[in-house]
Amino acid sequence: MACRWCSGSSPPFTAAWCPEVAVLPPDMDEAGFAALLGEFRAAVGEEWVWSGTADMFPYRDSFSPVWDTAEERHASAAVAPADVEQVQQIVRIARRFRVPLYPISTGKNFGYGGPSPNVNGSVVLDLKRLNRVLEIDEARHFVLVEPGVSYFDLYRVVQERGLKLMVDCPDPGWGSPVGNSLERGIGYTMPHFRDHFGAHCGMEVVLPDGELMRTGMGALPGAKTWQEYPYGFGPDPAGLFAQGNFGIVTKMGFRLMPLPEYYRTGLITVRRRQDFAKLVEHVNYLSDSGFIGEAVYGSPLAALMGDASFAAVATRPGGPADADMDAAAEAAGLPSWQVDLQFFGPEAVTSAGWQYAKDRILSDIPGAAALDGDHFALPATEDQLLNTTQSYRSGIRRYGALGVPSLGIWRIVRDDGHVGFFPVLPRSGEAVFEMQRVLGDALREFGMNSFFNATSAPLYWHTFAFQMVFAPTVRKNDPSHNATVHRAMKKAVAVAAEHGWGDYRAAPIYQDDVAATYSFNNHAMRRFHEQLKDAIDPDGIIAPGRGGVWPRRFRR
Amino acid sequence: MITRRNLLKWSAVTPAIIPDLHAHLRSLPSGVDAMVVDSRFSNPGLADRFDRRVHLFSGDVTAVWFDVLDLRWRQPGYLLGGITGQDALFVLERLAWDRGRRVTDRRELPLRGSDGLPVVQWIIAPVHRSVVS
Repeated sequence: MACRWCSGSSPPFTAAWCPEVAVLPPDMDEAGFAALLGEFRAAVGEEWVWSGTADMFPYRDSFSPVWDTAEERHASAAVAPADVEQVQQIVRIARRFRVPLYPISTGKNFGYGGPSPNVNGSVVLDLKRLNRVLEIDEARHFVLVEPGVSYFDLYRVVQERGLKLMVDCPDPGWGSPVGNSLERGIGYTMPHFRDHFGAHCGMEVVLPDGELMRTGMGALPGAKTWQEYPYGFGPDPAGLFAQGNFGIVTKMGFRLMPLPEYYRTGLITVRRRQDFAKLVEHVNYLSDSGFIGEAVYGSPLAALMGDASFAAVATRPGGPADADMDAAAEAAGLPSWQVDLQFFGPEAVTSAGWQYAKDRILSDIPGAAALDGDHFALPATEDQLLNTTQSYRSGIRRYGALGVPSLGIWRIVRDDGHVGFFPVLPRSGEAVFEMQRVLGDALREFGMNSFFNATSAPLYWHTFAFQMVFAPTVRKNDPSHNATVHRAMKKAVAVAAEHGWGDYRAAPIYQDDVAATYSFNNHAMRRFHEQLKDAIDPDGIIAPGRGGVWPRRFRR
Repeated sequence: MITRRNLLKWSAVTPAIIPDLHAHLRSLPSGVDAMVVDSRFSNPGLADRFDRRVHLFSGDVTAVWFDVLDLRWRQPGYLLGGITGQDALFVLERLAWDRGRRVTDRRELPLRGSDGLPVVQWIIAPVHRSVVS
């Protein structure tokens, strides 16, 4: 018998994702699977349980570099409960059947695996129907939401009620505050709101045995400060649920920024390559003092990368000579580096802040220059959000910077998406230059060294650390290209770790690689996580393998 | 829910759109409740010539989705047709999945955007019981 889909003959067919072959949960036969689905249907209603190739297509990782290969991970089914009680029911059923669940909020974690699980045959627990904004407080600046609430949903509530609150959102904004923060996602406003997990305050969790737990002040019956004091008393387990697999978060509180009265931007440029070090130190000071929002670094010299001779200098093995880069900048009449600064607050405060930043930096770095940028009262108009009136080339994406969710960033997605490796590095010019050199050289064999050339700037998304970006595209119709990307990703993770740089977030297919690099004292942290996992979820009901944490049942 | 009758009507109209997008958008294809058209592939001023059921956008679907589609897709029914770049369809398709809808017809047109972007005509229809009218 030949398969009309994958051109293999006689089961098992050749393609990893073959519609003729059912994906089943681990250690389960088709009869068991049918019984499992029957129980799920009884719990949530027939129409909220899906299985089969067509219905499960949305739960594949659209950006997978291992699309249609043996390494791609497939769920066997999906189930969408309506409320917390149904989540508990599903967990208890899964526990009885020893079937792994893979919880998702909106499943939009593209570049990091999307809705696809770590373990083939897992059942996706799709929490999209838990979509209520339970409480939002304009005076005390917090919100309590369910996992199916997207940033757009939350923004809509703020707008419809006319609340003077700002929602720090990722870009694109179609993910959920719960899912994004549990992935330790980031935003683009003020430092302590950009760290989405850091801005959470209190959560409710369904544990692997179906019990319901609340963290922080939520553990105290009748407490009125669940979204205002995160710790409560005693050890705080909240961190275990971020990039973890110790429970299913069904409610989560977040601190919200009061809508600032005014917004102001300004640009600082510096002439020489090594001026970057001082520039970073000044911006660190401004940020850690709470004066500025996201600082957006860039190199105007990146515009010269289309010139072969300049590109050769900027990608030179071992890094370029500073003098060569400075000479190129001089010849082009361009500064070596720039940073967009953003100020929030009363108009006078933003004005004073910008003046202070200019004075501080220009008085210390010879040749530094400042350009006054746009400034206006908030909320911004559509034209202001489009950022078309800035008198200079700005790296700021205004929607994100002003807490307005957007899907516009999809216009820059090329091929069939991308994967992402964003190593964390210190906020110093020296560290940036070292990462440019090391990872640029490491990725040269794949033809992907341009991600780390001498004009590559750091991202200042996290509160106290830089990241740089490696996000090669994937192509569904080009397995050879994808295989190269896959090898490059693994090498980047390994080489970065050799230099003390770790990834902050990864797709399931890379989570074991990344987790293995956090290996201090013979992987003491992983062993600790495994002990916890074995104690509370020995059968691996909740997302086995997520974050590199495997229960004994699945450990190899 | 999309009916075979509606699908056939739409299918009969869309091939004619290819040679002259503007001329054939003057009236909505029968059976669809609205259309979205990616203005990257049409002339400026197109919006002025059509009624409210043709929604124009330029690559970024945010506004049309947030202001129109997200609200309509929460209700049963609503057969949506579109001619967009592949990138915009990628976004709309995933948002449609969240509301029990699927791309039920998808055809690549013999057109390309300025950067080689494929142009696609499609239908998004309600398929889940919760939104089938």
